[in-house]
Amino acid sequence: MIDHRIFEDLQTKIDEETHVRDELQEIVQTLARRGRSTQAILSRAHSTPSGQLKPVLDSATKEIIAQKKEVTRLKAVADQHPFYKYNGLWTRELQNLVTAIELCAWLGGFQEYKGADSCEFLTIEEVGKFLDVPVNLKEEDAFHLTIEEYLLSLIAMAEELSRLAVNSVTLGDYTRPMQIGSFIKDLFAGFQLLNLKNDVLRKRSDGMKYSVKKVEDVVYDLSLRNLIPK
Amino acid sequence: MNNNNKNADADANANAAMDEPSSKVLSIFGTFRDELDEHHDRRERIIKASRDITALSKKIIFSLQRTRTIKSPLPPTIAKETTTRFTQIHTLFTSLTPDLTAVNTWRYQRNISPGIQEFIEALSFHHYILTQELITKEEVQAKLPREVLVTEEDYLMGLFDLTGEIMRFAVTGLSSGAASSQKDQKKEEKGEEKESGEGELRMLPESQAGLVVDLRAMRALFEMLSVPRRYHMLRDLGKKMEVMQTSVEKVEKAAYGILVRGSERPAGWMPDLSHAVDVESY
Repeated sequence: MIDHRIFEDLQTKIDEETHVRDELQEIVQTLARRGRSTQAILSRAHSTPSGQLKPVLDSATKEIIAQKKEVTRLKAVADQHPFYKYNGLWTRELQNLVTAIELCAWLGGFQEYKGADSCEFLTIEEVGKFLDVPVNLKEEDAFHLTIEEYLLSLIAMAEELSRLAVNSVTLGDYTRPMQIGSFIKDLFAGFQLLNLKNDVLRKRSDGMKYSVKKVEDVVYDLSLRNLIPK
Repeated sequence: MNNNNKNADADANANAAMDEPSSKVLSIFGTFRDELDEHHDRRERIIKASRDITALSKKIIFSLQRTRTIKSPLPPTIAKETTTRFTQIHTLFTSLTPDLTAVNTWRYQRNISPGIQEFIEALSFHHYILTQELITKEEVQAKLPREVLVTEEDYLMGLFDLTGEIMRFAVTGLSSGAASSQKDQKKEEKGEEKESGEGELRMLPESQAGLVVDLRAMRALFEMLSVPRRYHMLRDLGKKMEVMQTSVEKVEKAAYGILVRGSERPAGWMPDLSHAVDVESY
């Protein structure tokens, strides 16, 4: 005899899970929409001389703060459920946001969140502090920014900066490629310390050497022609 | 181990001397490396245990397929084998509990899921042969340490695979004609005398008919489940559904064949089960 209740219970659970996913998805979609507009604003940096970046950074900051509110909303809902059960729904958008924050910070924004002896990028703790979310939780099952998400964001940031190195030259700025070059090499040295397995982090960080090469080529071209400012 | 770490640090220092990467970056990434290493080690332990659990579960299923009775205690040798293997599986699950606490319960769910599904298949088949009932999710959970999750998905996928096992069990039973409990056997003996008369209504032995009824009921209930498509919930559902439908139809066809041609079958004839085995999906 087959007990019907077994299947009725399963259907109830499937319906409940769908409801949770719908609720989270709605927030993630808002986050994604705002994320696209943040990205559009930040892409103006490619055509703006570094001296005139302030208005770009200001409006990017405004969008990022709007996204931060969505993250707070997301956190409130996500905290009611197991973190890794639904993490896949928002991880992409959260990574994009962290990339935007890091880019904005590297270009001179978010100064108040950088530590005194800080590097040129925000540490995972500093990002967490800005977004007001915990980071790298190892015990507690709650919403947080994971190490993997943070590292993937840094890789995306390096890709964007390598593009900026090329465009800086077009804008007549020969100093910024040097700064980008030394920063990306630092970051790359960091990634080389990691023992990566065959996963998404490995795949993405393997691509980082192309970002390094792209910037090195720019620096090489400039130095060959004695264009590097002393 | 220590030496390796020292070497890695020495290498990092050598690099630092050459390119002067900021020591801050290196120390940050050093921490990340340790954490990621821990994560990979944990994941590998879980995947390995999951494989061992799968292998043991398959062995249990093979043993159970050698029984011919339903709703009665297992033959002692088979009972002993399955008990030993269930104990081994439990030990494996228990060994994983430190890796599956708190936030990690769900973190590694995908890595342990194949083992759990196979275990549910074995456990539910065992339960079905003894009671002719479906084991509930709560009963499965009760057999496992608290840290090991039984998700609805794994439970459901286990039940899908169970239909494949019941199919093999039923087809073997139908064609060898021996799969019936003692009560049924008596009926069958009486029945055969009656049914040998021409034109009389032939019936399946009660236990065999029960299997067909159960499989049909399960099929109907599986097909009634409605799962939205917009998320990747129950990813394997479509494939499992097809395999399950094929299984049910195989049994229906076998039952039909036995009823229509049963009496013409030479004594001692056994069906070719080599194709039935393929249906089980991995």
